[in-house]
Amino acid sequence: MDQLPNLGREQEMLDIMGVSSMKDLFEDIPVEIRSEGTLPLPPPQTEEEILRDAERLLGANVNLDSRPSFISAGLARNFVPSMVPMIATRGEFLTSYTPYQPEVSQGMLQAMWEFQTMISELVGLPISNVSMYDASTSAAEAITCAVRVKSKKVEMPNTVYVSELVPPHRMSVIENYTQGVGIEIRKIPHDEDGFLDLNLAAEASGSCAIYVEQPNAFGILDEGLLRLREVVGDKTAIIVGADVTSLGIVEPPGNWGADIVVGEGQPFGIGPTAGGPIYGIFACKKDFLRLMPGRIVGQSIDTEGKTAYTLTLSTREQHIRRHRATSNICSNETLIALMGAMHMALLGPVGLETLSTRILSSTRMTIDELSSVEGLELAFPKSPVFREFAVKVPGKASEALSHIFELGVIGGFDLGEWWPDRGSWILIGCDERTSESDISLLKKSLTSWVEESS
Amino acid sequence: MTDTIFDFNGSKNAGWSQPLPLTENSSSHIPESLRRNRLPDWPRASEPELVRHYTKLSQKNFGIDTGFYPLGSCTMKHNPRLNEKIVQNPGIDRIHPLQPEDQVQGLLAIYYEMQEMLAICSGMDAVTLQPVAGAQGEFTAIRCIQEYHRERGDNHRDKVIVPDSAHGTNPASASMCGYQIIEIPSAHDGRIDLDALRSAVGEDTAAMMITNPSTLGVFEPEIAEAAEIVHSAGGQMYYDGANFNAILGKTDPGRMGFDAVHYNLHKTFSQPHGGGGPGSGPIGVKDHLSKFLPTPLVGRKELPHGDIGTVGDGFWYHWDSPASSIGKVQQWNGNAGAVVRAWAFYRRYGRDLEKMSEHAVLNANYLRFRIMNPNPDLNIHVMPIEGCPAEVVKHEFTLSMSPLKDATGVTGKDVAKRLLDFGYMAPTLYFPQIVPECLMFEPTETESKEVLDKFAEDFHAILAEDPDIVLNAPHTTPVGRVDEVWAARNLILRYPKDEPSS
Repeated sequence: MDQLPNLGREQEMLDIMGVSSMKDLFEDIPVEIRSEGTLPLPPPQTEEEILRDAERLLGANVNLDSRPSFISAGLARNFVPSMVPMIATRGEFLTSYTPYQPEVSQGMLQAMWEFQTMISELVGLPISNVSMYDASTSAAEAITCAVRVKSKKVEMPNTVYVSELVPPHRMSVIENYTQGVGIEIRKIPHDEDGFLDLNLAAEASGSCAIYVEQPNAFGILDEGLLRLREVVGDKTAIIVGADVTSLGIVEPPGNWGADIVVGEGQPFGIGPTAGGPIYGIFACKKDFLRLMPGRIVGQSIDTEGKTAYTLTLSTREQHIRRHRATSNICSNETLIALMGAMHMALLGPVGLETLSTRILSSTRMTIDELSSVEGLELAFPKSPVFREFAVKVPGKASEALSHIFELGVIGGFDLGEWWPDRGSWILIGCDERTSESDISLLKKSLTSWVEESS
Repeated sequence: MTDTIFDFNGSKNAGWSQPLPLTENSSSHIPESLRRNRLPDWPRASEPELVRHYTKLSQKNFGIDTGFYPLGSCTMKHNPRLNEKIVQNPGIDRIHPLQPEDQVQGLLAIYYEMQEMLAICSGMDAVTLQPVAGAQGEFTAIRCIQEYHRERGDNHRDKVIVPDSAHGTNPASASMCGYQIIEIPSAHDGRIDLDALRSAVGEDTAAMMITNPSTLGVFEPEIAEAAEIVHSAGGQMYYDGANFNAILGKTDPGRMGFDAVHYNLHKTFSQPHGGGGPGSGPIGVKDHLSKFLPTPLVGRKELPHGDIGTVGDGFWYHWDSPASSIGKVQQWNGNAGAVVRAWAFYRRYGRDLEKMSEHAVLNANYLRFRIMNPNPDLNIHVMPIEGCPAEVVKHEFTLSMSPLKDATGVTGKDVAKRLLDFGYMAPTLYFPQIVPECLMFEPTETESKEVLDKFAEDFHAILAEDPDIVLNAPHTTPVGRVDEVWAARNLILRYPKDEPSS
C-alpha cells in the first residue's frame, strides 16, 4: 500500500468533487456484472517480505553460473559489463515511454539511432529498426515483409523457402505469423555434413524469399551460402538468421547477398533471463524500408535548425495505418536494445573480434577434448562450427544429461526434444566464459556416462 | 547537441579488456572465404567516456521518475525499484529457458502463481504468460479463436469486428491472422452502437475486439448485451486489457461475457516501459479456448505427504502442453523478467488490488474535475470540452481542444508541447480519433493530490496565456519542436560515415 500517495485522503478529494463516496465512482458498472467480495488472493506484503520470498523462490533455481554449463541453443550465457545494467536502468531511460514527444526524449532517440548504426555496421546492411521481440519474431516478420515487397515481382508469389534446420520452436513462431496471410512455407534440406543442399535451394529461385541461418542449429558455418545469391537469382530475397557474436570473425551476411538479417541480440546486453526480455535484431536493404516492421529513428532538425532525433516512417505502423500496418508491433524491446548498444560500444571493433575469437576458441577446445573420448561421436565432424556442436552419445541424450548433471555439470541440450530421431544427440554450447576446467569436467562427466552405459 | 557516440576519438586501444582466448589460431578453423575482412565501424571509446555519454543522454529523456506522465492508455505508474533488484538475481538473470524443470522449480512456481492470479482477476479459466507485448497477446488470442472456429468446421468466419475507437493494434493483430476488419462506428457519446453491432455481425463473424472501459475512459454499460449479440451470431468476444487498471476487484471480463483477454503487465502490473519496451502481454481464456493456448503452461501436482518439494510448498511444478496448442508465438517462455517484476508488484497489493484501481479512478475523476472547474478569476480564453459527457470516468478521460483551435488557432498538439515546458509529459495526443483535437489523460494511482492540483493550475495557465507562446512551444526543452517531415524526407537513419553499400 506504500504505492498510493492519496491513501487516507480519499474523502478530502471526493468532497472537492462533490462525490459522496468511493462507491459512487463505480456506480456506472451495472450491478449484474459487479464483482462480489474481496479477490481470493493472499494478503498484501511489504517490500521486505516480497524480497524474502523472491530470494527463496529464485534461489531454488539452478543458475548457469553455479556450475560448468554448456546449454545455449540460440541464447548465450554471456558476460555483461557492469556498466550496462547500472546505466541503462537510470530512471530517465527505465521509466520513459515510447518517444512520441521527441523534444523530451532526445536521449533514448539518439541512443537508438546509434544502436541502428551499430547493427547496420555489424551485419553489413544500411537499415536497422530499434528491435523486435526476439530472433524468432524477427525471422517471422522478415518473411512477411519480404512477401509484401516481392510478391508482385516474382513467379511464385506468397511462397517462401526455409532451411529444414530452423529449430522447431522458431519454426512454430514463423508458422503462426505466416499461416493466416496465405504464405506457403517450403523446406530445403541439408546434406550429411549439415550444409544447405544448394541444388535443391535453386528451387527457391522465383519465390519471394529464402530463409537460412548462419551458423545453423548445429552451429555449422556453411561456406556454400556465399553462393546463395548466384543460386537463387536476383529477384528472391535472402533472409539470414545470424549469431551476432560470430560477426567479429565471420563475414557479415550483408556482404554476401543478404537482403534482411535477423538474429538474437541478447548476447549483447543481457543475460539469458529465462528467455526474456531479450531482443531481436532486424536489418535490411533500402528496398525493404517502407514495408518493414518496427520503430525507426531518424535524424532531423528542430525549429532553429539544431540537430534532433525523432521516430520516423510511422505511417507504416499500427497506430496510424491500423489494419493495413506492416506489423502489429507496438511495445518492442527498446530498453534491452539500449543495453545492447552500451555493450557493443564498450567492446568496440577490436573487442568484438576478441569476443568472437574467444567463443570460437572455447568451442574448438571443447570439440578437441571430447573427440578423444571413446564412445562419443561428433555428428558433423568435418564441418566448421561456431559456439555449438552436436555430439552423439550412447543411450538417450536426456539420460546422459541427467547423469552428468548429478556430477555437477549442465551438459547441453537434448536434441531429441526438437527432433525425436536425434534422441541420442546433445547440443553442446560454448561461450566466452567456458574455462579449461569446465571443459575438463564436461569431459570427465561424459566419460563417466559412456562407461556407465556400456 | 551531444556528440554522437561515434565522435569519440580518445581511445585507440584494443577495446574493452577481456581474458585471452583459450587457444591460439582458432580462426584457422573457419574457411578463409568466410572470414570477415573489415571490422564494423563501432565506437572507439573507454568506459568513462561512455558512462558520461549515456548519462548525458539520460538527462535529455523524460521518465516517470522525472515528472508527472499523464499519457492516456499507457498507465505510466511508478515502477518500484524492488522489482529491478529482484530481476538481477542470478536465479532469473542466469537461467536458460531450456533447463529441465527440476532446475527451475522456483521460476515455475512464480509462473504458476501469476497464471492463477491473472485468471482470478479477469474471470478467465486458463492463462499463458508467453506473449511478450500487448499486441502479441491480441495476436495470440485471435490465433486461438481462429483454431477454435476451424476445429468446429466454421471455416467461413473471416471477419473481426472492432469499434472505430479501438487501439490500432487490434485491427493490425487480427489482420496478421488473415482476418478482414469490420470497423463499426461508435455512438455519439463514444459508446458501442448496439444497432451498428447488430447489423455488422453474421455467420462470417469470427470475433469482436473491444476494450472496457473504452478508450474514452468510460465504462461501457451495455457490454453484456454486446457480448450476447456477438455470441448469438457464433462469434467470440475478445477483451483488450489495455484499460484493465480501472476495474480490478470491481468487475472482470469474464462477468462481462468475454471469452479471451490480454493483460499488459507493463501497464497494470508496473513492468517499466523502458522507452518502448520490454512489455509482457499474457492472455487468459475461457475453458473452451484453453486447449489452443501456446506452449508451455505451468501446472503442478501435490507431492506425497511429507515431501515439501524444491520450493517448500509441497508441490511439484511442471510444464504443460495444451492438447491442440497453436505452438509458439515467442521462441521461449515469454518475458520471464517482466513476469517476475509483475509478480513482485502484485504481491504488494495481494487481495487489495481493488485499492489500486480505486485510486486510479479517484485520481482520474479528481483531475478531470480540477481541469474542468478552473478558478473563475483566471482569464481563460476558452475551455476544452469533454470527449465524453459521462458523470464519472474510470482511469482516464479525454478532452477536445477544438474550441481553443477555433478561437485562437492553438491546437491540441500545441497545448501538448507547451505542457512539456512545465515539466510534464504530454497527454496522449489525437487518440481516440473520434474526438477532434483530442488529449487523453491518465494520471494513475501513484500521483499525489498536490501533483494533480498543480497540473490543473498549470493547464489553466496555458489556456490563459498568449496563444503565440503556446503555438511555438516548447521553449525550455533540450531541443525545440522537432521537424518530423524533415526526418521522413531526408531519412538519415544511421551515422552516415562509411555506410555499407546496398
